[in-house]
Amino acid sequence: MVRVDVTLLLLALFSTVGLVFTYLAVSERDLVRAVIYSAVQSSAYAVMLYLLRAPDIVLVYLPVAVGLYPAALLFLIGKTEKVDGE
Amino acid sequence: MLISIVASVALLAYATSLAGALGYLGLETRALAKMFLTLAYNPGLRELTAMAPEAVTAIVWDFRGVDTLYETVVFYMAIIAALAIYRGVPKVGGGGGTGLSLIVRVVTKLLIPMNIAVALSIAVHGHLTPGGGFQAGAALAVISVLLAVVYSFSSYGRVGIDIPKAVTLRSVGLVAIALVVFTPLIYSLVTGAQAYLMQNYVKVDSGFSFPAEVFGQLISGTLIWLNVAEFLAVSFGFCIIFMLLSLREEVIRPALVGEEHGP
Repeated sequence: MVRVDVTLLLLALFSTVGLVFTYLAVSERDLVRAVIYSAVQSSAYAVMLYLLRAPDIVLVYLPVAVGLYPAALLFLIGKTEKVDGE
Repeated sequence: MLISIVASVALLAYATSLAGALGYLGLETRALAKMFLTLAYNPGLRELTAMAPEAVTAIVWDFRGVDTLYETVVFYMAIIAALAIYRGVPKVGGGGGTGLSLIVRVVTKLLIPMNIAVALSIAVHGHLTPGGGFQAGAALAVISVLLAVVYSFSSYGRVGIDIPKAVTLRSVGLVAIALVVFTPLIYSLVTGAQAYLMQNYVKVDSGFSFPAEVFGQLISGTLIWLNVAEFLAVSFGFCIIFMLLSLREEVIRPALVGEEHGP
């Protein structure tokens, strides 16, 4: 009899959400959408870090991965092209 | 697609629970973790403890403090490099731009004080609860992004912050960290007693100690000062980067291109 831990189940769920949004971010041609998918993936990872009992990392990961990093990428996209070229 | 997602969730859940049952993810506490948990807050062992209930901050700024000091140096070097690339560019700000709609601007105006309060609380309680200087600095730096995105780039001038001011505040943080690090040296030079750089409390062969408590409040010696100084340095470091990134290209191009490759 194998016991399924709720924490591990949630970890598996959020890691899968992260995987799906990583795929979407990589395959999306519109770079602004890709940045938003990447931010959603980061949010899933933030929940995972909380489940793994690393609140210190969550506090630094959330502003950096959801706020600062997408902002830096959006500044960059604003200065170049919005759609991935051939 | 949906079937593969469901299948992978089920497979991952089964594999991880199996690993847990067989002991691969072992839930028992290891010897190193036990040592840190024992020493993080332990008034009975004043030569070894960091006097901070928050074990992560105790490790980051006391047990491996020099490591964190050099991480801070790396962050400063990156900002200095960015400032060097953008040297000679005109002042930030100027130019019109109204930003996003009224609803977004009002909501952001309400959010910014809350953001400042959360960031300050993360910094000042860094030795008691999860968080610390870098976390608080990153949280406050989000405001500099919000200003640029919601109120347009010209808003930096309106709130009274520009690059020289941000560099000054960042340097105040750096000087404060250096002051905390060198205080034992000054003590040693003045009294002639033994002391170590970045020392927090009494050691076996040194009587120097920062106060662990002030007016009955636990401040954990150097930890609160280092956290607040790092908070100042990191938040304005990020602020400098975003002010530089928000400069309009046509304004800065002549300065970036340089003399020998001019148009």
